[in-house]
Amino acid sequence: MTTTGTMTSTRTLSYIALFAAVIAVFGLIPKIDLPFGVPITLQSLGIMLVGCLLGPKRAFYTVGLFLLAVALGLPLLAGGRGGLGVFVAPSAGFLLGWWIGAVVCGLCMRQFMRRMPEAKGKGLLIAAFLSSAIGGIAAMYLFGILGLMLAAHLTLTQAALAVLAFIPGDLVKCAICAVLVQSVVRGMPSWRLDRD
Amino acid sequence: MRSLYATRRTWLHGVPAWLKLVVLSLAGTALMLLGTLLPLAVATTIVLALFISLGPAGWRQWRMLRGLLIASALIAGFHWLVGDPVVGIVSALRIMAASMLALMLTITTRFDDLLAVLEYTLSPLRRCGVPVERIALGIGLTLRFAENFYAQWQRLDDAHRARTGRGGGLRLLAPLAIRALQTAERVADALATRLGG
Repeated sequence: MTTTGTMTSTRTLSYIALFAAVIAVFGLIPKIDLPFGVPITLQSLGIMLVGCLLGPKRAFYTVGLFLLAVALGLPLLAGGRGGLGVFVAPSAGFLLGWWIGAVVCGLCMRQFMRRMPEAKGKGLLIAAFLSSAIGGIAAMYLFGILGLMLAAHLTLTQAALAVLAFIPGDLVKCAICAVLVQSVVRGMPSWRLDRD
Repeated sequence: MRSLYATRRTWLHGVPAWLKLVVLSLAGTALMLLGTLLPLAVATTIVLALFISLGPAGWRQWRMLRGLLIASALIAGFHWLVGDPVVGIVSALRIMAASMLALMLTITTRFDDLLAVLEYTLSPLRRCGVPVERIALGIGLTLRFAENFYAQWQRLDDAHRARTGRGGGLRLLAPLAIRALQTAERVADALATRLGG
């Protein structure tokens, strides 16, 4: 085995940095602003991919590294936003949600792949779709909604209604994520999906 | 990638990065503790005055503030609709003041300086096994990958355009993902050779 699952492995660092860059590049694609200052971006697709392809542990490091770079003022969020300010904005809860969401997504994917290690076609698609839906939608919105409630003083129902508009787009992202995971497994058969 | 840092010097450029970070975290906490309208309005006015004192260096980051203004207006408007305008104004003011402070730090402090403060603050953690240099290396690699990744995307898009006359769009994601992973593998090999696994 060439890869150990720790940040101290130089090899792993390369993948962590790559996926942090993937999240950043998805932010270059123009965003659509919705009310309450929460933008629709492809960046959450990056979060789902990180979780599905890297597994929970490295997903944790990846999103952590990305958020650290943002906090240091790099304009890596969609629309060229960055700096510490984004962590007090109404959408700050989603940033924490990304972090947790990527880990949850990785945990689900690992569980699925350990149950059915030989999954290639439909099984893999469904596993990746479900993992990204649980991590990238359910877990992420849990924190996003909490953030909106705290920063914008909305009630639970109001905050939940405010984010409802994103769900259809997010389901599309889950589907794209599933197809991508499948293509990576096809194109790089040595890629392992059941790692920590 | 365009950095948010303003090369045009302002009075705030001379203040050391660590001091700005300390002031920012203290001011941020104070803003959270101020719960009533009047003190918050005063605080926001002071922050706004400080921001204006940066001159053109600050105003060039107008687009960062624009989104914030829209969000604040929406929050205030929403609470006004629900019948509690004061709550809306209080949260809008707090968000605006905190974000302006953070933006001031970002546009007047070089990335390297912030990274140095980070490395310094984290350095006690080195004893607990936190690989501080690795974190710095990771951030550097991320930026390099982001650039490289974008270039690869454009190359694939050009190739697709040459064959079909249209941009590739989402169809390019799969080949792009595989290419990026292969790049990461090569970089991993290179790093492992130089720094040891």
